[in-house]
Amino acid sequence: MSDTRSRSLAGDAWTDLRHNKIFWASGVLVALILLMAVVPSLFTSADPAVCTLANQNQGPSSTAWFGYDFQGCDVFARTVYGTRDSLEVGLLSTLLAGVLGLIVGMAAGWFGGVVDAVLSRLTDIMLGVPLLLAAVVFSGRLSSPFEDGVFAVTLTLGLLTWTAAARVMRSAVITAKSQDYVAAARMLGAGPARLVFRHVLPNSIASFIVVITILLGTNIAAEATLSYLGAGLGGDAISWGLQIAEARNYARIAASPLVWPSVFLAVTVLAFIMLGDAIRDAFDPKLR
Amino acid sequence: MLGKRPWKMAAGLAAISLLIAGCGGGDSDGESANSNTVVIGLSEPSDLLPSNVTDVNGTTILSSLFYPLLEFNARKEPVEAAAQSITPDKSNRIWTIKLKPGFTFHNGEPVTSQNYIDAWNYGAYGPNAQTGSNFYARIAGYDDLNPEDPDKEGPQKAPTPTTNKMSGLKAIDDLTLQVTLSAPFSSFKTVLAYSVFYPLPKAAFASDGVIVEGFAESIIGNGPFKMVGKWVHDDKVVVEKVANFKGKVPKIDGVTWKIYQDELTEYADLVTGSLDVQTSIPIEALSSAPADLGERFQRSENSGFDALGFPVYDTTWSNPNVRKAISMAINRDEIAEQIFLGSRSAAHAFVSPVVAGYRENSCGEACQYNPNKAKELYQAGKGPSEIKITYNVDGGHKAWVDATCGQITASLGVTCVGNPVGKFADLQAMARAHEPIGIFRLSWSMDYPLMENYLGPLYSSKGSSNFSGFASAKFDQLLKQGSAASTPAAAIKKWQDAEDILVQQMPFIPLRFSNNVYGYSEKVTNVEIDLFMKVNLYEIETIA
Amino acid sequence: MFRYIVRRLLQMILTFFGATFVVFALMFANQDDPIQALAGEKPVSDNVRAVLTERYHLDESFPVQYWYYMKGLLTGDLGRSMAGRDIGEMLSGAWPVTLKLSALAIVVAALIAITAGVWSAIRRGGFFDNSTLLMTLLLLAVPIVVLAPVAQLVFAMELRWFPATTTARAGLYDLLLPAVVLACSVMATQLRVTRTSVVENLRADYVRTARAKGLTPRRVTWVHVLRNSLIPVITLIGVDLGMLMSGAIIVEEVFNIPGVGFNLARGIRAEDGPLVVGFVSVLVVVFLVVNLVVDLLYAALDPRIRYE
Repeated sequence: MSDTRSRSLAGDAWTDLRHNKIFWASGVLVALILLMAVVPSLFTSADPAVCTLANQNQGPSSTAWFGYDFQGCDVFARTVYGTRDSLEVGLLSTLLAGVLGLIVGMAAGWFGGVVDAVLSRLTDIMLGVPLLLAAVVFSGRLSSPFEDGVFAVTLTLGLLTWTAAARVMRSAVITAKSQDYVAAARMLGAGPARLVFRHVLPNSIASFIVVITILLGTNIAAEATLSYLGAGLGGDAISWGLQIAEARNYARIAASPLVWPSVFLAVTVLAFIMLGDAIRDAFDPKLR
Repeated sequence: MLGKRPWKMAAGLAAISLLIAGCGGGDSDGESANSNTVVIGLSEPSDLLPSNVTDVNGTTILSSLFYPLLEFNARKEPVEAAAQSITPDKSNRIWTIKLKPGFTFHNGEPVTSQNYIDAWNYGAYGPNAQTGSNFYARIAGYDDLNPEDPDKEGPQKAPTPTTNKMSGLKAIDDLTLQVTLSAPFSSFKTVLAYSVFYPLPKAAFASDGVIVEGFAESIIGNGPFKMVGKWVHDDKVVVEKVANFKGKVPKIDGVTWKIYQDELTEYADLVTGSLDVQTSIPIEALSSAPADLGERFQRSENSGFDALGFPVYDTTWSNPNVRKAISMAINRDEIAEQIFLGSRSAAHAFVSPVVAGYRENSCGEACQYNPNKAKELYQAGKGPSEIKITYNVDGGHKAWVDATCGQITASLGVTCVGNPVGKFADLQAMARAHEPIGIFRLSWSMDYPLMENYLGPLYSSKGSSNFSGFASAKFDQLLKQGSAASTPAAAIKKWQDAEDILVQQMPFIPLRFSNNVYGYSEKVTNVEIDLFMKVNLYEIETIA
Repeated sequence: MFRYIVRRLLQMILTFFGATFVVFALMFANQDDPIQALAGEKPVSDNVRAVLTERYHLDESFPVQYWYYMKGLLTGDLGRSMAGRDIGEMLSGAWPVTLKLSALAIVVAALIAITAGVWSAIRRGGFFDNSTLLMTLLLLAVPIVVLAPVAQLVFAMELRWFPATTTARAGLYDLLLPAVVLACSVMATQLRVTRTSVVENLRADYVRTARAKGLTPRRVTWVHVLRNSLIPVITLIGVDLGMLMSGAIIVEEVFNIPGVGFNLARGIRAEDGPLVVGFVSVLVVVFLVVNLVVDLLYAALDPRIRYE
């Protein structure tokens, strides 16, 4: 790759993306999901908080497309309204984990030596902290009654899940650093900032993006696990994780309350994975 | 060197991991299918030393290892077992317990009255910090073993007791024991059935008042079964029949108490036949249990009682009519059937139906579902427009709290949300500190079958589980008069009068009584679960 | 290389104390009323409370509590849990089965993830690639709280291929079902990372060179490309191994395995500081060793990487 191109990397990428069908499909899907999170009332007129035991476990009908759950709540309405908290937890915690992982991983890999030792051992310490413990501490200390606990859960997941991304980033930087083109660029007089952001980062980010896009999915699902363990969202929060954790218990009687939030979760992750793949391909200098 | 052999290294690592995985191998539980033993499931008990056991798992295992002084028959009346007779003097203060002769501990020691005295003194001695120690509190001299902390919460420590023997315990001879109470109590006999009143052999003590290290891991009791090997933590406790047992002889040769972390897991083992008895099938499995188990799915009553409590110190809830309105806004039957699938029944009284003196529907109109009347009362009493119900998330209460809130919202037209806190201790702490806790949940199961065991701890002003702040001098007095009454029947009369005060005041609203929902494998028959959620080990049989 | 290893081993000691300190601090922050937690919902008498408070130094400040704990730890005494059990014994009871379970799970996960990852990279956009993507999504969308009981229901209760529960003494076969469920929780990431990494390397110059030399495509893919693609995958496996050990709470609960995850969860719920820190200490040592091995493997896989 040459440094004397007339167009920037970003410009190139945009040209690529404009003609990529997968990019448009996943982009539209992501937009739709975001819209659902922001204005759920566009998608359903039912109130997700109104539940009557008389409707318990009833099948789908014209009023409730996905039927009713164990509490007699409208599954479709709850799934639509659950998008907001689930996405908030998933996106924000992944963003936090991504930023932390990127910085720590790049610094440790690039500088090596003492910086690597300190940052890597810090990563090891974080790996040793059980997720449940952090969740219990944060939810116990940060949430007051009547609050839904989104902040606590997001913080817990963000602070504890960056480790894998950091270690993967570090390994990729260590590999990229020792490649010939880095040595060549260095000899040509490239400064450290240029080396890192122009040569090492683009060549080492692929695995990192994969880890992060999947982390989005696992974090949305991890909220279900935390809810099940009693350290997840609370109060009157509605989320896919809470729905799944609750419906799990009654899956043998009624599967629909379990299946639908899972489907929404899968489609969301799919959309983000496709989008991530497309963007990464467009930015990857090796695929040029 | 490393660089040249990455594949061999990777293969080596995989081999090492598999080796780690494989080493030790597996050994099965070794229960042969046709032996006359049964496998019964429970959770890990906190301890097995009788005076330190108050949970149902511990007491259940202990019931196989020990033979109680007395037990309860089908009509819930006390019947002597290891005791020949238990008789009070005229004042109901001095009780004489005569033991049946010929009983021995599993190590061959004869059971004497001194064994009871040693065990009880150990349990009551403050510095031993036994969780069951308050059960001895009625015995004279208990206070000497538990001197009061001079400044309660303050920095000073409670003084070390001057004695480790309760003055109220006296061995008349090897088989006669005299217990003096600090105050008359006509129903003391009933209390003696509890597991903290089991005896301990001389072999349990290293020296006076000191238990041998590790005794709780391999208990020596006086019961129909003895331990085989040690208590394998988080796994199992195996017991086998004692030869020539002098008391009632069980029909099975042994029990493997299998320890589970989760009731749904336990249920999976029950369905696949690896487990013979599950005493408590979780709600999540109840809908499929009739199909999975057929006739082997059973139900019986137990002593559990669920209620909602009001913080009566909070002016929002100080009006009894508002509290009544909440009670009448709840459809107990619907929740018992649809959320608990029959593992609970609607409660219309403040004490469980399993105790003598229970009156069906003693709560009257105030516990009947009546949304219209409820709304009227609520509006007249100016109840709050936002209600929260505080519960602990670790106990599986979310489903019914949400449903209850749904009903209250529908009946009264107010906002109602569940307010989860991490643990029951958190809820307790909030109530003690008079924080704005809102309505809160509460459960109770009895330790001994007396009305007093519900009324005292839950509603009396000094009750250990009374978090509502409810205090009625008249109630306390009636309770005290009941305990001091000359006969159990006279006691019940007073206690019922006390219950009537609760109906007027409604500091708590009764919600449900619990039922045992249990199941068993095709290998066993005659399975009964008693009021204390324990399997009747004397009746259960295997099918050859 | 030798000096590097020695340096890493020295760092371990510091890290070990750092980790125990952090976890101890978190447990302290979470400490409300461990004595009430011990008794469930039954009342605790004042005397019992006073004695236990003193026995476990519960009314002491954080540094003092930490000091008591470290003093015990350094003299080889891990202390007693709130329930009065010897923590050393609990560790030796729980670790073997967790090691077995996580080793089995990681082997299952890595085998499937690497094979499927390479295949879908070779046939990028093909049928196999798309179906593995679908499978990954399925694994992601079904959290382990659902997967574990469903696997138990289907394979143990309905089909009866596996026992429904196991014990601390379980053999390999007994642990297979929980290990596969556990493997599912980490397989998705490993598979996608393998695929991405292989796709990148397939376009590298050395692949063209190797092909030009006349090597068989199979040898090029499975030896040259895979070897060069493994670094991020192995890194991930190293991290996952640790997460499997402490994060198997749900699987251990559902299959009744009294291992590390179960003990951690129990300790956290009971606010049992010494118990949790004891388990985490061993956990951290395992992490440190695994990560050292992973770092050494970088150099083994890519001769250009040097440690000095």
